[in-house]
Amino acid sequence: MKKKYALFPGCLMPTEQYAYELSIRETLPLLDVELVDVEGFSCCGEPMKSVNQLLTLYLSARNLAIAQKHHLDLFVPCAMCHLALTECQHILEKNPAMKDRINDMLVAEDLAYTEKRHIVHTVDLLHDEIGVQKIKEHVKKPLQGVKIAVHYGCHILRPRELGRPDDSENPQKIEAILKALGAEPVNYPQKLDCCGAPLLANLPESALTKTGQKLQAIQEQGIQGLVDVCPWCHKMFDSRQTKAGETVAAKLDVPVVYLTQLLGVAFGLSAEKLGLDLNLSPVEKLQLEAAK
Amino acid sequence: MSIIDLTSMGEPQSEQRKELNDRLTKLQDEISDYCFQCARCTSGCEAHKLLELEPHKIVALLKRGLINELVNADVIWTCMTCLKCRERCPQRVAPVEILFALKNIAVANGKQIPGKYTAMLQSILSIGLIQDIQQTTTRTNKTVKREELGLPPLSKPTDVAKFQAGIMKIAMEKV
Ligand code: SF4
Ligand code: SF4
Repeated sequence: MKKKYALFPGCLMPTEQYAYELSIRETLPLLDVELVDVEGFSCCGEPMKSVNQLLTLYLSARNLAIAQKHHLDLFVPCAMCHLALTECQHILEKNPAMKDRINDMLVAEDLAYTEKRHIVHTVDLLHDEIGVQKIKEHVKKPLQGVKIAVHYGCHILRPRELGRPDDSENPQKIEAILKALGAEPVNYPQKLDCCGAPLLANLPESALTKTGQKLQAIQEQGIQGLVDVCPWCHKMFDSRQTKAGETVAAKLDVPVVYLTQLLGVAFGLSAEKLGLDLNLSPVEKLQLEAAK
Repeated sequence: MSIIDLTSMGEPQSEQRKELNDRLTKLQDEISDYCFQCARCTSGCEAHKLLELEPHKIVALLKRGLINELVNADVIWTCMTCLKCRERCPQRVAPVEILFALKNIAVANGKQIPGKYTAMLQSILSIGLIQDIQQTTTRTNKTVKREELGLPPLSKPTDVAKFQAGIMKIAMEKV
């Protein structure tokens, strides 16, 4: 059965993290997911939480209201956006006064939030909705010999009470997906460490140090590479890897790929379709092309 | 509309400032009371080792009513919002939420907003997103833009005037 979702792109993925969007658009339809492009979405509001939480709530609510107008559930590939929308829905459902207040403001755009939507991220969409078995059936080129570490990203794991895509202390869903693709997930002590991205706005040096420390630990353990599922995490680990290395005085050389890129390679899609030339880290070291 | 409306919260927003203060008082009176200073939050804090943030001390200071000191302290801006403190606190205190409230008050009180937050806010106000389409480069140094990759047009607010009118209500809102 076909599943249908509005693709909620957020800000970062559609304005610079093109490899994530490309690989999402190439792989998910193969798994019977129909992605609908909807006009009018805005920032989820999460980046403004330190400045004005009411603004965060308002922006999230307007995006939920737009999805509602189209009678669509939401697929949200960014961890930050996923938390913002989920938390907003939680607040509006629990607090009728706040819901009224937000709806009073949404009138300006002829929008209203009245009913819950199903909100999924890449990890639960793949693991819970589509299922590992179905993924396995689509594998044409198993990723044999690819031994890789997993970075989940804080915002898809916590806070547990809001219902997150995976377990807050021992997430294993990406590992399960990787095994279905024929790859070998590698455990490492720093698995739950933050990527540093939330500090990029005001303390970029510290943000990059955080990134550098995690990558350095991975490199020192001789792990082949890292897989991630959030445009913010990927911006840090891949796009800014060289800079992150400078902050920890290390020459970093860790291939970093989106989970959906690996999915695509295993499904037999070309590197170009998956945006693999857009990764700035040395992904060729993973020898994905040689994967059979 | 300007950024000032949303951040410095001049006269029309006194209600919102009051609301923020009420929120903090509530955190202070009710929530921080549960804290028994076990420091479990600090032991797993992502900002602790690197930037000396000690969430349990933030809670302790709040409990003592030192709100002004906290609001003006740079350290509240070092939180990486990893949410581990909220997840792991045995008393459900959520220092990360206290930090968000403190930062919101700092902004509402007209304290300078650090770093790129102002630019992001400005961008949201004008196009609905924290940034517009960026040119990126490939590993082999070719420049690429979104449309060259065959990706569909960016989803963003279509009627910017209406979008701004909605946000304007936050700046002007009376509770
Ligand atoms: S973990 Fe909770 S109870 Fe323990 S010090 Fe931190 S806030 Fe207080
Ligand atoms: S959310 Fe902030 S205060 Fe809490 S543990 Fe993470 S970095 Fe520390």
